[in-house]
Amino acid sequence: MRKRRHRPDEAEINIAPMLDIIFILLIFFIVTTSFVKEFAVDMSRPSNAPPKTEKLSEVIFVKIDASGQIFVKDRLTDVRAVRANIESGLAANPESPVVVAAARQADAGLLVRVVDQARVAGAQRVSLVALVE
Amino acid sequence: MRKRRSKENEDTEINITPMLDIVFIMLIFFIVTTSFVKETGISPKKPVAQTAESKPRANILIGVDLDGRIWINNRQMQVNQVRQLIEDAVNETPESSVVLIADQESPTGVLIDVMDQVRLGGIIEIAVSAEPESQ
Repeated sequence: MRKRRHRPDEAEINIAPMLDIIFILLIFFIVTTSFVKEFAVDMSRPSNAPPKTEKLSEVIFVKIDASGQIFVKDRLTDVRAVRANIESGLAANPESPVVVAAARQADAGLLVRVVDQARVAGAQRVSLVALVE
Repeated sequence: MRKRRSKENEDTEINITPMLDIVFIMLIFFIVTTSFVKETGISPKKPVAQTAESKPRANILIGVDLDGRIWINNRQMQVNQVRQLIEDAVNETPESSVVLIADQESPTGVLIDVMDQVRLGGIIEIAVSAEPESQ
C-alpha cells in the first residue's frame, strides 16, 4: 500500500471521525450499563400448565390470616416451625403440593418467609392464593 | 508525518490497531450486556429468605411500599396499569423477567394482584426480592 502512495490521486481513509463515534458509543454503554444485583425467591408457577384440581386431602394448606398467624393444616404454627410441619406433611406424600393462602392484609414479608421455608422443606410445588374472607 | 518518516528514521508512528481492537471488543461487550433496567425508585425493607438466589437477568423491577403503593420506573402506578406496562416490556424484550420488591410490611393482597397482572401481561418468571440469609 505504502509503496503505491506516490500516486497523488490515491486518498487515505480518515478514521478519526469513526474513532470519535466509537468512543462516544463506548462511553454511552459503559455509563448506562447497570448490573442488577437482586436476590429473590422464585414465585413463578413451575409450568405453564393450567392449575390442576388437586385432591384436598393431599394438599398441604398453609393459611396466613390478617393478624399474621400461620396455620399449617389448620394448626396454629410459628413461622420457625413451618418448615418442620411441611416436612412432616411431605414425608407422608412427597408429591403433595403446598398451597399458601394469605389474607390481603397480611405482611408480604411473612408470605415470602413461608414460601421460603416451604422450599427449604423440599416442596416441589408451592402455589399462592389470596384468601377470600 | 509520512514526509518526515523518510527523513528521520527514528521518528515512529504509534500503531493504533491493537487499541482499536480492544475498544471494539469492549464496545461489543457493553452492547451485549446492557439491559435497560426499570428501577423502582424506592428501597423497601426486604424479608430474609434462605432460598433467595441471584437474579442477574431481571430487567423489570416492581416496587411495593409499606402502604401498598406500586412503583415502577420511579413512578407510582395503579394495579390496572401494570398489565399494559408488562405487555409493552414483553414486546420490547420477549425474555424479560420480573422481580417484585415488596416491603416486609406491605399488604399481601397488593402483591398477589400485581403478580396476577404480570402473568396476564405475559411474563411467567416472577420472583419476590429477599435478602439472602448470611450463613
